[in-house]
Amino acid sequence: MKKPAEGAFPEGMAVGLPRTLYYFTYPGLWEEFFRGLGLMPVPAEPATQQKVERAGLLSESEHCLPMKMFDAHVAELVDRVGTIFVPRVLSTLKGHISCPKLGALPDSARALPGLQDKVLCAEINEDKTPLPLMLESLGMRLGRNRTRVRNAVSRAMEAMDREHFRLSAPSATEGRRMLLLAHPYNLYDPFFSGPVVRKLQALRVSVAMVPFERKALPPDPIKWDACSQMHHALRRLEARSVGGVIQISSFNCGCDSIVGEFHREVLREKKIPFLTLILDEHSSPAGLETRLEAFVDSCGW
Amino acid sequence: MTTLAFQPWGNYALALEASAESFGVRCWTSTCSTPEILRLGVEASPEFSCLPFKGSTGHFIKAAQEGAEYGVIVNSVGTCRLRYYRTVQQKILRDRGLDLKIFGLGYDGFKPPLIRHFDPDLGPFIKSVVRAVRKLGAIELVETLGARTRSRERHTGDTTRVMDDCLRELRSARTVPEIRAVKETIPSRFAAVPLETGRTPLRVGLLGEATLLRDRFLNHNIEEILGSLGVEAVNFFVLGVELRKIFLLGLSRAQARKKLFRLAHPYLRSVVGGHALESVAYTAQCAAEGYDGVVHVCPAGCMPEISIRPILRRISRDRDLPLLEFSFDEHTSHVGVVTRLEAFVDILDDRRRKRAR
Repeated sequence: MKKPAEGAFPEGMAVGLPRTLYYFTYPGLWEEFFRGLGLMPVPAEPATQQKVERAGLLSESEHCLPMKMFDAHVAELVDRVGTIFVPRVLSTLKGHISCPKLGALPDSARALPGLQDKVLCAEINEDKTPLPLMLESLGMRLGRNRTRVRNAVSRAMEAMDREHFRLSAPSATEGRRMLLLAHPYNLYDPFFSGPVVRKLQALRVSVAMVPFERKALPPDPIKWDACSQMHHALRRLEARSVGGVIQISSFNCGCDSIVGEFHREVLREKKIPFLTLILDEHSSPAGLETRLEAFVDSCGW
Repeated sequence: MTTLAFQPWGNYALALEASAESFGVRCWTSTCSTPEILRLGVEASPEFSCLPFKGSTGHFIKAAQEGAEYGVIVNSVGTCRLRYYRTVQQKILRDRGLDLKIFGLGYDGFKPPLIRHFDPDLGPFIKSVVRAVRKLGAIELVETLGARTRSRERHTGDTTRVMDDCLRELRSARTVPEIRAVKETIPSRFAAVPLETGRTPLRVGLLGEATLLRDRFLNHNIEEILGSLGVEAVNFFVLGVELRKIFLLGLSRAQARKKLFRLAHPYLRSVVGGHALESVAYTAQCAAEGYDGVVHVCPAGCMPEISIRPILRRISRDRDLPLLEFSFDEHTSHVGVVTRLEAFVDILDDRRRKRAR
């Protein structure tokens, strides 16, 4: 990758972070990392209904929801920051690959109006390069000295571990429990998973979230990283530990369309009820609530 | 006799058929899907899976119902859904009580499971591979000449008739000399089609996802529609080129890849998956070679192809190359496809007229 010109990333420069996809896959990492390098991380404003509608208008119509949201976040950031960080995510887990859509993300971001020279790209391929090493070389490319980069990397990794720990904190194990299954960008984005969690709590059902641990998995037929992590979580699930599994998926998600079959097979064997909720920019809260109520009623606790 | 079902892949199915004979099996295949195959596939497949998945699932169900014991599908090691076709289709067939074992083809080392299972003798096997390669060459010739001639023909339908005749004869040709004999007659047959004189047809690149580019039923016969509108449609999915990409070793393979990267360079710097890199590279190539337009064809929700659409639009804008995007699923209306193609060709005609002035 080409080395940027000297002083291209001065102290205090604003680095835009679209609040979707890799922002949630690596929670807390990017802010801490860029802050450590003396840059100013600027995450896009959280998702709102207006933003979701805007995403539907300005993005490619056949993208899945997170890709559309990416375009909306970028459109919001483009005038506020000096550069926008868009990594090429090829793999986030050893022995696995990421969704192919992410491989073209920096290039398709560059194709958007006004972004030609504003994209800061780095390749994340944890199958080949461990994350800390990749961060280190990114820091060096930005023209910072090695000690400073190393400090920033170790602080960023710690911040991410803390965030992962907080997000996967076990909920109540007593009473009625549901497991929530979704890609990190749907699961950890309160705008998308929040309504489901709140409704379930109102129905007095406690919610466990599928954990995304950063550790090697035994080989399995599913090569997509997050899908494989979810699938392994389902395989480990004990038959009576949860009343049901609710998957939150995005409309037109290619991974889920295929992997859903694998999930269903595992859960059928364990006799655990399975509900798939599909989100897009037209989702309505009323429909969601009705379906959740019906599902909770039908689980036969 | 054992029956082996091949995934339909346009007219190339005829070449695959020729190679199957060496296993001592009967081949069950067709040059395109049918409404019945698609209906079976749609019923059995996950709702949001892509059209090629539904098509090939239907194909295997139909084959199993008609008594085929084995199936063959390309074995992908890529990033897109193709990688899981075989596993999920096998599950679907099992759930329906159909007994058909699907083999993966390619990327499996020197002796893929298919060959291990049938274990053909080396001599006949090599012979039949040679036959298949020969047939492939002849089919490619028919395709290229067909697209050229159709856009210039005086009476609509002449070219299609000649193409069908050639393909029928190729199908029944059993030996290399027979294939060669048919191949030699092909150019003169196309030359005999009466042509419209004094008009240079528009030239449009057809690119995108492989199955959709080659399955006439799934793509609503887009090549023929364009041809009858007086447009020479250059299909960028050529099986010969793809196979060379897979089987070439070392240097030349790396060079082929490098060439694609060079073509796509300012716009895409990653392989992405499927034929995404090819789509971007060939679009840039069409712009450089002065094509009148590009038609991008993919299944609705195709992971690699959809993700590069913003890039194609950028190329179209930067290089002033008209671009028409199609995504197909089982609900696509034929009339809609025709209308959009007509409108596109009208625009291209208009651009040419304005330039000439």
